[in-house]
Amino acid sequence: MKINFDTQTLEINPSGDQYVAAMDGKTVSVQIIRAEDGRMDLLIDGQRVNAHVSSDMAKRWVTIDGHTIMLTKTSGAKQGVRHDHAGGLIAPMPGQVRSVSVSVGDVVKKGQTLLTMEAMKMEIRIQALKDGRVTALHAAQGQTVEREQILIEVEE
Amino acid sequence: MFNKILIANRGEIAIRIIRACRELGIKTVAVYSEADKNAQHVQLADESILLGDAAPKESYLNVDKLIRAALDSKADAIHPGYGFLSENASFAAAVDSAHLTFIGPSADSIRAMGDKAESKILMKQSGVPTVPGFEGLTSDDEFKKAAKEIGYPVLIKASAGGGGKGMRVVNAESELSEAIESARREALNSFGDENLLIEKYLADAHHIEFQVFGDKHGNLVHLFERECSVQRRHQKIIEETPSPLLTPELREQMGLAAVAAAKAVNYYNAGTIEFIFDPLLSTFYFLEMNTRLQVEHPITELTAGIDLVQWQIRIAAGEKFPFTQNDFHQHGHAIECRVYAEDPSNGFLPSTGKLLQFLEPRGPGIRVDSGFKTGSDVNHFYDPLLAKLIVHAANRETAIQRMQTALREFIVHGVVTNIDFMQAVLKHEDFAQGKVSTPWVEKNLELGGLLPEQDIPSFENLIAAALADVVFVGAKAQPAVSNETDPFNPWKQTKNYRN
Repeated sequence: MKINFDTQTLEINPSGDQYVAAMDGKTVSVQIIRAEDGRMDLLIDGQRVNAHVSSDMAKRWVTIDGHTIMLTKTSGAKQGVRHDHAGGLIAPMPGQVRSVSVSVGDVVKKGQTLLTMEAMKMEIRIQALKDGRVTALHAAQGQTVEREQILIEVEE
Repeated sequence: MFNKILIANRGEIAIRIIRACRELGIKTVAVYSEADKNAQHVQLADESILLGDAAPKESYLNVDKLIRAALDSKADAIHPGYGFLSENASFAAAVDSAHLTFIGPSADSIRAMGDKAESKILMKQSGVPTVPGFEGLTSDDEFKKAAKEIGYPVLIKASAGGGGKGMRVVNAESELSEAIESARREALNSFGDENLLIEKYLADAHHIEFQVFGDKHGNLVHLFERECSVQRRHQKIIEETPSPLLTPELREQMGLAAVAAAKAVNYYNAGTIEFIFDPLLSTFYFLEMNTRLQVEHPITELTAGIDLVQWQIRIAAGEKFPFTQNDFHQHGHAIECRVYAEDPSNGFLPSTGKLLQFLEPRGPGIRVDSGFKTGSDVNHFYDPLLAKLIVHAANRETAIQRMQTALREFIVHGVVTNIDFMQAVLKHEDFAQGKVSTPWVEKNLELGGLLPEQDIPSFENLIAAALADVVFVGAKAQPAVSNETDPFNPWKQTKNYRN
């Protein structure tokens, strides 16, 4: 079966009591030595690999040799391409909207602060990237937002 | 001694204080906000009281609610921890007025050190070296004259300031007026006080601080230094003691200055004198005093051999500090790494979420002060500190190796952390040579090398991630033996497991 993570595609299939994994023309054999409580000990082409792995919806967290990486499982079509938010301003971090200083229809100048948000004692100002008009507001004061959520849309 | 202490804080420091109380046979009252209902400090305390909403001013910053909670629970003292109300003189005074004991210095000491201009004047009078500069200036012309005398670059900062707010570096006279105006505005907005002071800007300085400790009977000692120069956005990331820069002579001079500074405000309990250290001239200047327990206190505890939190409590109860300066020596080397829920590749912005795995390292000389475990929520309301990882070893080299090993074993899934970033700092040649000054992180981020250019997952990462679905998700959904038809099920391969 094929599995897509972000922009990479891995093919992995069972073969006897092992697995065969292939990516970018390279094929390896994988044997699971032990798997419990989020920890996985593997033999990959005879090389021992100890990994910690967690899953949260589409996200996978993997730590090997003390280095942690986060992967997002995608359906093959998307290939993990990020949305181009066009005129939409996105939240750079998860947090709470502290104040919204514009309304729909307002004319705004490049660099003008449209909204402030706060997380973990840090305050961030969301500023207009260009001159334009506010066409949509997706956040209100006090609202909790996720990272990369669209907050405000501005059109030229 | 006290019967019961209310801890006006949360997270790892609340837990640290609960443990000290337990060792002293004192009962504890935890306070918490709606967001911290399931927090560890609430579970570990003998009693707990809900303060209110998650927002700090409805909970951990709410003086009235905290005093009410202490009186209702019949606590006889309040430990403020660090942050929140720990350096708030009015809170200390309110605790006294309620006939409770504030575990910290007097409200007067906090007030005297709270104003940057006033404390600087006081330090000059007490013979403590301060950064060349002027206080109490108002007109642009006065500032211009002062700047010329000091020599550019100069630093303008708010008298009432802190946390880098109302602070401006000025490189030339042409930038001065604008810097004064904007610093004034920011100071007024943040602190309700527009007074500024001006001083020489030391571009490549180190931050070296001294722990002081005193009782209410006039005994006061210092417990050596902490080198805290690895910082980003004025926030410390890695601290160590001893400082690789100090000679025994300098250490003695700075220690004496620290004690003099604390005595000038009749200080008792735990406090920290922060110095700016110029490595080229080997000169040091008083920066400010933190009138509370410091985040990085554990490295002092390990090297000086003293439980600072226990002694804070005993001093507050009126006990005499039985030690003199000569009783203290530095043993070995200690380092602290602050594991933050933040993403170095995204401008160190906070990362929130549920901790899917949180495995703390163990071993000789390793201490972890944390308030989280697997399953805990990391929310956006409070500080991003997940844990303090502290190591102690015979010397600096082995302490660094021990820290690298411990960080490698620290598994945090569910939020992005700065662990890889700290590993990059620890293995940097500049760190090995003790050459890291306070602007170092920002400079090296620009140069690259501290962050991976592109974090492309390896083949091994992808294989482990792909197998997770079949191994763990499958295992959770169904008992191992019943899933025989699933070709991916590894549980049927038990006979092949190696031990």
